[in-house]
Amino acid sequence: MKERKRISRRAFLKTAAAGIGGMTLGLKGIGASAQDKTPAKAKPARKALGVDVIKLGGQGVISGAHADYGWQIQAGAALAIEEINAKGGVLGSKLELKFMDEELKPAVAVKNARYLATEWGAHLLFGVDSSGSAMAVGPILPELDRLCMFVHASTHRLTEELVAEKGIKQIFRIAAPVYQEGNLAALIFKEFPNIKRWAGIHCDYEYGYSAWALFKDTLKKYRPDVEFVSIAWAPFWTMDFSSHISAVMAANPDAIHATPWAGEGVMLLRQALMLGVFDKIQAWFQCMGGSVDILEGISREVEAGKFKNKLWATARYIHNYPDTPENKKFVESFRKRWNRFPNYSAENAYSTIYVFKAALEKARSLKTADLIKAIEGMKIMTAGGERFFRPEDHQAIYAVPGGRVVIDPKYPIPVLGDLKVFPAQAYYRNPPFEPLKMGK
Amino acid sequence: MKTKLAILLLIIFLAVLPAFAGKYLLYVTIHILLLSIFSLGFNLLFGYTGLLSFGQAGFYAVGAYGCAKILLVYPSLLAGILGGVTLAGVASLLLGVLCIRHTRIYFSMLTLSFGMMIFSLAWKWRDVTGGDDGLVGIPRAPLEVPGIFKINMAAMESYYYVVLGLSLLAIYLFQRIVRSPLGLTLQGIRDSETRAACVGVSVRKYRLLSFTIAGLYAGLAGALLPPLESTVTPPVAHWSHSAEPVLATLLGGIYTFAGPIVGSALFYLLKDIIVRFTEYWLICLGVIVVVLVMGFRGGVVSIFLKEGSRR
Amino acid sequence: METLAFQGLIGLSVAMYLWLLASGLTIVFGVLGVLNFAHGSLFMLGAYFAFTFYGLWGVNFWLAIALSLLSVAVVGYLMERFFLRHIYNEDHAYQLLLTFGFILIFDDAVKMVWGGVAKIPAMPSFFEGTVSVVGRPFPVYNLFIIGAGLFVAVLVWLLFEKTWWGKMVRASASDREMAGAIGINIPTLFTGVFAFGAMLAALGGALGTPVRVVAPGIGSAMIIQAFIITVIGGLGNLKGAFVGALIVGTLSAYGILLFPVFELFLIFLIMAVVLMIKPQGLFGGER
Repeated sequence: MKERKRISRRAFLKTAAAGIGGMTLGLKGIGASAQDKTPAKAKPARKALGVDVIKLGGQGVISGAHADYGWQIQAGAALAIEEINAKGGVLGSKLELKFMDEELKPAVAVKNARYLATEWGAHLLFGVDSSGSAMAVGPILPELDRLCMFVHASTHRLTEELVAEKGIKQIFRIAAPVYQEGNLAALIFKEFPNIKRWAGIHCDYEYGYSAWALFKDTLKKYRPDVEFVSIAWAPFWTMDFSSHISAVMAANPDAIHATPWAGEGVMLLRQALMLGVFDKIQAWFQCMGGSVDILEGISREVEAGKFKNKLWATARYIHNYPDTPENKKFVESFRKRWNRFPNYSAENAYSTIYVFKAALEKARSLKTADLIKAIEGMKIMTAGGERFFRPEDHQAIYAVPGGRVVIDPKYPIPVLGDLKVFPAQAYYRNPPFEPLKMGK
Repeated sequence: MKTKLAILLLIIFLAVLPAFAGKYLLYVTIHILLLSIFSLGFNLLFGYTGLLSFGQAGFYAVGAYGCAKILLVYPSLLAGILGGVTLAGVASLLLGVLCIRHTRIYFSMLTLSFGMMIFSLAWKWRDVTGGDDGLVGIPRAPLEVPGIFKINMAAMESYYYVVLGLSLLAIYLFQRIVRSPLGLTLQGIRDSETRAACVGVSVRKYRLLSFTIAGLYAGLAGALLPPLESTVTPPVAHWSHSAEPVLATLLGGIYTFAGPIVGSALFYLLKDIIVRFTEYWLICLGVIVVVLVMGFRGGVVSIFLKEGSRR
Repeated sequence: METLAFQGLIGLSVAMYLWLLASGLTIVFGVLGVLNFAHGSLFMLGAYFAFTFYGLWGVNFWLAIALSLLSVAVVGYLMERFFLRHIYNEDHAYQLLLTFGFILIFDDAVKMVWGGVAKIPAMPSFFEGTVSVVGRPFPVYNLFIIGAGLFVAVLVWLLFEKTWWGKMVRASASDREMAGAIGINIPTLFTGVFAFGAMLAALGGALGTPVRVVAPGIGSAMIIQAFIITVIGGLGNLKGAFVGALIVGTLSAYGILLFPVFELFLIFLIMAVVLMIKPQGLFGGER
């Protein structure tokens, strides 16, 4: 056997030389310029904003059980950008999109944000599916001097803690947060006197904890007679929910509140059907069940009436609400372009681009500080309704209803019907914010 | 002499990098340095001692969370780093006692278990670790010795120099370790446990030492993370993170000194560049791994050193 | 009382499903000495192939399962014949690394072929009913899985204990050199065993398609559980894997019922404890 302990000098030199050479080439490949890419003035005085191209950097999750959401964000944004560019862009400058995979990992989301802002030269950032990623990206925005419009991440902490409390003004969120899952559900079900015993099947991470805690808190205020009889927690990548379902059903609940989403949500519902749950309970609230991928996934079962009209849901936007020309136009264009219905991530991303457009036109500047001022307090009509960006926490206030999952002959996939609409002010939390106690 | 010149050139290159590099490039380089430290420690265990650990990320996490918790109450960079490294060292010493009695597959599986136990602790123990949201708002605390000096770290360049300095120190120490009788003994144990025992070497003691040093290095890499990113989240403890030093070392060359460092740079740069052009970077990495294992088990370094491959 | 019994039965179906996954892994380790990290990927491929045949092309469900098994057997054959075989004499670490490389390749490959979005086929009608167990509805599907798991256990036992091929396999497992010396074609045998293990993984994946998400990465999500089961039972030991699956499956079901804060931690702790106290697992027999 050869001795391997020493590296010959010559050999080391060769390696070192190759290493340095390789590194220099590699580093050159990474950082083409000497200084940070700031929105540069391209040609003098031709465009109002001083650049030919406005760069928008987005990210979302594009693989795994939740991959549809990243795709939808990208699709919605791309559609908006195509529309705007076709009409001449923003103040004469075209929009360009670069979209990256956050892999549901905060470290990756942070790296992408840094890359998009400092290397690629994004003027504005948007996206981020997971709450964990949002909480990691938010605090570095001041260092990057860019604002980010968060499109999905639902944690209340993003706006309540990072903006309202810590003052990170670069954070904005266009999507309705976990108030949908918690408070809206409570408002709907307080009106059902026969539903007294609630059980929960929830994601075993912050999203599930906060949704369940909010729901319990709010419902208890309206209905002190309600009991929370059972809870089962399902980590990421749970594929078999039968243990969870049978555990909570053992407590004989009247209704179930559930957060597992995307592909997991579909399978949870399917397994619940298999366990005969919908014969026994009075209602099942699938928090983000109004999302298109879930509606598509359960469409055969809904058509066959398997859910016995007991399945309820909400989302951060549903394509059949509001019944406005803006929304109808958006849904039609999206369907024509992508051959699918837009889910809430798509609408949120689409509207984000239009909010950016409005902000750029109002501020007539690419400076982050100016854009922040432009969006704060902005009231803008979007596909999902009129949105108001509350200055205290930079959260967009707009109402999304909840409803039963039903078949409507006008649509090829199930929709939410029997809509319970509440004004956003009725169920959004308002400042000053008290921290939410999330026990298990 | 020539080797020393080459190394000097490399150090000078890294030292002047901030003068002509952009912020993102610095950020990437810091990450490469962290991965290098992480991988060096890993390779002491694997290349030099023959133990393949799939749980090093656990100690990285202990270092990271430890430093973060300290910085959140006492914003002194030195305190955070020292604290994180110490905690990681203690953890690896304690767990090492349990792990090093076994070898090969069992050792790997055991380290995998412990690493994932740390991961689930980080995920579940919300009160201490912040749960899946992690710890946020960690300050890039100033480098200070009370009463003597205080250097502000807000600029990426300043922090870069701290990381560079510590990395060079760690590499130098590593060199001393592997050239020392300790290093030779470890390789002896790797090559033949029985022979080493016959010569009177306490195999367990040396393995434990190797394990602890690897844990210290992982902890150092981990402790340097929070001031850079301002957040620490549970995925730093996951086995997929443990796989990074494994892949980097494989890429660079397992039985060489510089392998982990070269491999870390390659691994990080490869991923960074590939993801800009395609979302399919996993398959690129996978193909590289397969090619290396099938044909170039000595890694990149061995392509330059004819004799790099051990067998 | 009924609650416990019912949950136990659910746990049994979870266990049998896990057994399907773990069986192939432990067989391959027992005979070839290779811990196939990519076993979960073969499971995932089984699910994707079954989805394609059954969900996309409308093939009869059972035929789709059979086709899926064949397809994955081919993949397993290619993996072993052209890659794994060449590094049997190397350090164990390289086998782990090679199979890890395959995980990365397969995760992206399925994404490239089928897209990143989760696949959801129609639910076969014969899985839709329930039977009443202790007064509660128990899904026919879960009963089927219990049956399938037991069937595979018996089949595998018969295969290895009662057939000629099984005898050769056992001989090669206990002493590779001797077996080769008496004329057993070791390389071919090994390829066959690997393909067989791949088929078992695929069976788990394929049978799960109607009720479990089919998406990139589901293999890596399952592989850890498979490791834990085989370690607890004893790497290479089939009986051990069966018992290990029973333990993990029922513990997890009861954990969710009785300790809703059931931790991932506990499962890894059990694996660590077994490894420390009796590394050969509950049923000993290290190869």
